[in-house]
Amino acid sequence: MNCHECLEHLYEYLDRELTPAVEVEMRAHFEDCDSCGEQADFERAFLKFVEARCRSQGAPAELKRKILRELLGE
Amino acid sequence: MTGPSVDQRRESFEREALVHLDALYRVALRLTGNAADADDLVQETMLKAYRAWEQFELGTNAKGWLLTIMRHAFINEYRRRRRRPETVDVDAIEPFAVFENVQEEDPQGAFFDRIVDDEVLRAIDGLPDAFRETLMLSDVEGLSYQEIAKMLDVPVGTVKSRLFRARHLLQAKLYQYAVSMGYIRGKKE
Repeated sequence: MNCHECLEHLYEYLDRELTPAVEVEMRAHFEDCDSCGEQADFERAFLKFVEARCRSQGAPAELKRKILRELLGE
Repeated sequence: MTGPSVDQRRESFEREALVHLDALYRVALRLTGNAADADDLVQETMLKAYRAWEQFELGTNAKGWLLTIMRHAFINEYRRRRRRPETVDVDAIEPFAVFENVQEEDPQGAFFDRIVDDEVLRAIDGLPDAFRETLMLSDVEGLSYQEIAKMLDVPVGTVKSRLFRARHLLQAKLYQYAVSMGYIRGKKE
């Protein structure tokens, strides 16, 4: 696997959408190539960051109460 | 033969569906763009889901099922009065590889940690509709490419390319913000 192929599949790798065989190839490439390995770490950090920032938000307590009361209350 | 009792039905709905309320609300907020509409959309979704609860197959992905109901409700009733029409040709946007710009200075992306929630949400809200929806379903709610493709009724390849572009576009926005705030020097063009 070369750098171009590796970067093309990087998000699929991080999203666990590749077959185990291709995952092995990806990991082997990261061992050999610092730059792609670094980029994988960077993208992984970015995805974790987006998830954490967005997940800090949840439904307001009042909405939950309203649904429980009105929908399931009868 | 009789069906499940009202109590059983209610109990299974609470256990399987109501636990996804936060997820529904997060996505509803990004779809509608305001808290009042998000509230209404989530209530309507829960009502529809409860009425159709017999159609849900226990053991399958309840979150995906609920998000699909919500998406249909949104398209039918909210999209047309959303705050702005979609004017961007999503396929014409060039992705921007931020890593190359920070590789020397901050290869681990530590500058992201200095950007607060509101700024990230604002940047996500600035993405074209199709990108924002795909990004939320994947990166925040953890749905697979296949699940998203089914929900949006597009090929898996489209999900893949939207995600690629959405992520790079979001990165580019956040990078430019971080440079403007002095969190990072950035690379001079």
